[in-house]
Amino acid sequence: MNRVPNANIGRVRKADPNRLERRGSTRILDPIRFEVIRSALNAAVEEMSVALARSAYSTNIKTRLDFSCAFLDRDQKIIVQAFNQPSHLGSLVFCVPRAIREYGLSNLAPGDALLINDSHRGMTHLNDVCLITPLYSEEKVWGFAANVAHHVDIGGRAPGSIAVSTEIYQEGIIVPGVKIVKAGQVDPDVFKLILANVRGKKEFGGDIRAQVAANKLAQRRILELIAKFGAETVDTTIKQLYSYTERRSRLALRDFPQGTFRGDATVDDDGITGKPIRIKAKVTIDEDRLTIDLSGSDGQQKGPMNSTFAQSFSSCAYPVKALMPPDIPINDGFYRVVKIVAPERSVVNCSFPSAVVGGWEVGVKTTEAVFRAFGRAMPESVPAEGKKSMFHIAFGGVDPRDQERYVFLETIAGGYGARSNKDGPDGVQAHFQNTENSPVEELEVGYPVLIERYELRPDSGGPGRFRGGLGLRRDYRFRDHVATVTILADTAKFPARGMLGGLDGVPASFVLNPDTDEEVSLVSKVTFETRPNQVLSMRSPGGGGYGKPKRRGRAEVAEDLLEGKISSRAARKIYGLGDGADSKRRGRSGRGH
Amino acid sequence: MTYRVSVDIGGTFTDAILIDMETGRMARSKVPTTPDDPARGFIESVDRVVQGVKPSQVSQAVHATTIATNAIIEGRVAKGALVVTKGFRDILEIQRQIRPKLYDLFFDKPKPLVPRRMSFEVDERVTPEGTVLRRLDEDEVRRVARALKREGVESVAICFLHSYVNPAHERLAEKIISEEHPDAYITPSHRISPQFREYFRASTAVINAVIMPIMAGYLSRLEEELRVRGFKLGLYLMQSSGGLMKSEIAREKPAFVVESGPAAGTIATSYVARLLGYNEAIAFDMGGTTAKVGVVEGATPRIASSYEVGTVASAEIGGLTKGSGYPLRTPVIDLVEIGAGGGSIAWVDSGGALRVGPQSAGADPGPACYPRGGKEPTITDANLVLGRLDPGNFLGGEMRLDPSAARRAIKDRCGDALGQDAVETANGIIEIANESMLRALRLASVERGYDPREFVLTAFGGAGPMHANALAKELGIPRVLVPPSPGLFSALGLLVTDLKHDYVQTYLSNLSDVDQAKAETIYSKFEKSARSTLRGEGMREDAVSISRFMDLRYVGQSYELTVPVPAGVLSDSSLASVRGRFHKAHERAYGHATPEEPVEVVSLRLSAVGSIAKPRLPEVSKGGVDPSAAIVRKREVTLPDLSVEECGVYDRYKLKRGNVVTGPAIIEETDSTTVLYPGYKAETKRWGFLLIQPA
Repeated sequence: MNRVPNANIGRVRKADPNRLERRGSTRILDPIRFEVIRSALNAAVEEMSVALARSAYSTNIKTRLDFSCAFLDRDQKIIVQAFNQPSHLGSLVFCVPRAIREYGLSNLAPGDALLINDSHRGMTHLNDVCLITPLYSEEKVWGFAANVAHHVDIGGRAPGSIAVSTEIYQEGIIVPGVKIVKAGQVDPDVFKLILANVRGKKEFGGDIRAQVAANKLAQRRILELIAKFGAETVDTTIKQLYSYTERRSRLALRDFPQGTFRGDATVDDDGITGKPIRIKAKVTIDEDRLTIDLSGSDGQQKGPMNSTFAQSFSSCAYPVKALMPPDIPINDGFYRVVKIVAPERSVVNCSFPSAVVGGWEVGVKTTEAVFRAFGRAMPESVPAEGKKSMFHIAFGGVDPRDQERYVFLETIAGGYGARSNKDGPDGVQAHFQNTENSPVEELEVGYPVLIERYELRPDSGGPGRFRGGLGLRRDYRFRDHVATVTILADTAKFPARGMLGGLDGVPASFVLNPDTDEEVSLVSKVTFETRPNQVLSMRSPGGGGYGKPKRRGRAEVAEDLLEGKISSRAARKIYGLGDGADSKRRGRSGRGH
Repeated sequence: MTYRVSVDIGGTFTDAILIDMETGRMARSKVPTTPDDPARGFIESVDRVVQGVKPSQVSQAVHATTIATNAIIEGRVAKGALVVTKGFRDILEIQRQIRPKLYDLFFDKPKPLVPRRMSFEVDERVTPEGTVLRRLDEDEVRRVARALKREGVESVAICFLHSYVNPAHERLAEKIISEEHPDAYITPSHRISPQFREYFRASTAVINAVIMPIMAGYLSRLEEELRVRGFKLGLYLMQSSGGLMKSEIAREKPAFVVESGPAAGTIATSYVARLLGYNEAIAFDMGGTTAKVGVVEGATPRIASSYEVGTVASAEIGGLTKGSGYPLRTPVIDLVEIGAGGGSIAWVDSGGALRVGPQSAGADPGPACYPRGGKEPTITDANLVLGRLDPGNFLGGEMRLDPSAARRAIKDRCGDALGQDAVETANGIIEIANESMLRALRLASVERGYDPREFVLTAFGGAGPMHANALAKELGIPRVLVPPSPGLFSALGLLVTDLKHDYVQTYLSNLSDVDQAKAETIYSKFEKSARSTLRGEGMREDAVSISRFMDLRYVGQSYELTVPVPAGVLSDSSLASVRGRFHKAHERAYGHATPEEPVEVVSLRLSAVGSIAKPRLPEVSKGGVDPSAAIVRKREVTLPDLSVEECGVYDRYKLKRGNVVTGPAIIEETDSTTVLYPGYKAETKRWGFLLIQPA
């Protein structure tokens, strides 16, 4: 076990098992039925996801799987969740109860569904659109099916609805919770109104239809389940499921070091003021309760780098889930154990009408801040900092090949932080982000760009006993037309930090006309117009290293050199390859990778 | 007299059947697989079944092998290299930039099959329209080729951007490399998978490249062993797509036989279901470690156009756990696979819930009831405790099972924690295992737009017939078919498989703007090549049938559906019918269609089938309705409601055609046991098939 060389460490002690026994260790009444119904609920929500992914239109949802599905009980508590994107963990927890409360359950009838994307009503950014369908059994509300999907464009200032905005009004159409489906039919007026406000009309229409279809399937599955087991048995099982998760979560927390641990992270700037934004996280593990307090984080920003409470909640929940046994199902029982505090009007709990589209950049930093805190408690379980930016690029214009307007948005992966027993993987999404890349050929067929390079950035991973993952370089040439491009990214000023002696990764950079005399560096948040055939080079950050570089196994250094992942200069200067100490070290190379 | 022999090498057993083509008489063999040298297992199995037959009388050997999959999973592949367009050296490193598991902080990306240092860039560029933007730097290719030779590279894949639309640069590079390094195997990506999306094409080409030398060595070994034994037969391999391919072609395109193993069961299902008059069937194959489900629609197995090889086994299903393996763009029998088999372990988690799998006790030590020192309770142990398995008649009595060890394991490891006795717990284990198999069955059917109630469930694999009745009951499937020798059903499938060759070419065009002459040229080129290949494999012209397909999507989508194209020259009316079929297929697969939206062609496909003569299956003699002559003993069996009933145990080999067994009952044979539930009956049909229906 690694020592933690930091005075800031919390008091590490063990929880008192006697005190824990008294709380909620009930036995499952009918363990067989319990497991059967639990599997059926899982299967239903999984089928919902498959249906949504398959029938959606946009690449965003279909291949990048940027959506999540859930069932909630009649009190709008989460029963079961299938989240391909953990950034939606919080949205469903907060937006569904609020939408139902504000709209009034009595104003809904079988076959109706509500649509909501209002960030300041429990959502994250406007592109995330949630569809909520009340489920009825024998004319009574049994619960809800809900799904959140990231739409490629929801209107606003720039293609893809991402821009350096200062008010939410600039970010797209706000849907506060309206009845989009009435008696099973999509309301044509509401639909038309929204459609008139968005750029990718075909995508929006197709994706909404897919969201509706997914909830319809959910309704069928739940009715089947109730018909098979009876509503009472299903309801009892769900209650037991909550306590099961709660019980297991508390047991897991009991194994965590007890005490208070602090971590922080920094966002480069909000795109307007140029000032760094500090995120602070205080994690308290007290017996079997966990509190994450984000107090002390900076105030809400003028630019769009603001996180709603739902976003911050997801950002904090991710590390907790990742550190717990992976098979604990997430439902209300999990949310009972984890308490998250975020002061109002702060960058981690912003208020109306602040701009929020960059809130995910605050979100990824919040996740890192929480990981840093956990890293002090259990450094062997937490990776060093990684890419820690969503790293968006969006562009649009008129395709010179057919004179049609187009919009495209994607995110670029980066280096993952090194771990206590192995390197950080190269060129991969981190933590709550897991969106796929667009195949270069498909991108070039569909949009007037040529990708000139798509490659790893050698030497970008933070050196260490275990090396941080390498960042990526992706160069876009905008063919024969003027494109409006938005970069909304981060980690250009504050690189991914190394851990326990590991060095930092190389920060991000954004370069126009790369490798020419007209090379220009851009900032991480900007909207601009290109000249025809101009090239933009996006370079994502490398991950932080873990442990001292000189302790890296010689074989691993040599392998990295051979693979071209580090330069011979780095091998020599940073890792000391070839210096006299080599023969001594050869015997104890790192624990394999 | 002519014979055919089939050898199916699975993870646990190597199965072989020799069939007399005229009488349908079979010789069977089941021996443990020899993973260190699968060729030895092949030869030993052949030797066992051909006893008493002259080698010259055996006309064909048909083989399903896991050699390619194993080589990939275990990383024992040939020394390969990749040559790519400048700027794209890291195509195999970056992959899809995703993590296979969202919450795993200690994940790994699949390690590229060709290391970064063996990925070489050469200057060239073609646009998506197929125009050459920068000509191939031939000198650079030559320099790379020399380096490959120096490095001792055995096999090279070439993947240039947009080579599916303009393969000229890949061809030129191939020529130069073969001049400089004549001993190297070369796989240009456009030849193995001329489809867009570069990572998937490159991955397919690289897989092909790194297994080519291995496949060639293996096949040469088999051919040599067969030759010295005096066989003069043709050696055929099962492809992932469920069609055969002669060994000469498999050497060139080993990527097509990677999932050779699991395909045969679904082919066998489609064949026998049709024989018995069913066109829609679900193939349910449950073995020791996994259960697999495939769908047969219109007497044809459902095919997928891509998959991942070497994915990490997990309980998760539904296609959402991508990124843990190597993508392969070749046709494959569409199977849903879950980690639930006879050896799946039951356990109680820290929250007090009973769980089954995904851990498996495997074959060694195996279930607690095996005499190999296993301590973990498994699905097999639960079946034994419930009286559904006979401790003295397992594998025809070759292995004695210990019911008290099974009971002890279930009680100690699960029952005590749950406050239940061994029998109750065993019943729960079966119920929970069935639930996960139901999930797989639903995903394979309902989720793909099929109503399972319109299907006949065909149950095979050692454990399939033990669970099929319960699953059919849950899903409302009215008919279950249990073939004779369920444990050797896949080996039988190999003997009824036709030759098949698949062709695909990305062709992007709005459906209403299709250049019919150009598309027709592509189809004709495919057809010409297919006919000549099949001729080379000894197929007569009149045994060849050709089917055309198109991959289509709504403009703006990024998933495609494959739709059949009417036979004959393309015309406005055939394209109109394609459009109609697409809307219907979309409705079926995704629950909605938008006929007013424009439709886009993504790829053209063609399948050529060379129909082989099918063996006759052995008949069973006729009898009356009364099956009592086949009862060998009575046994106490615990039913799902936990009542215990004295059930008749029937010897399957003694059942006659027309006999009707009424449930609850147990029907035993050497390689499997069929459990018949109360309220169901099983009739012995022609060729000895059991048809289970509600009584």
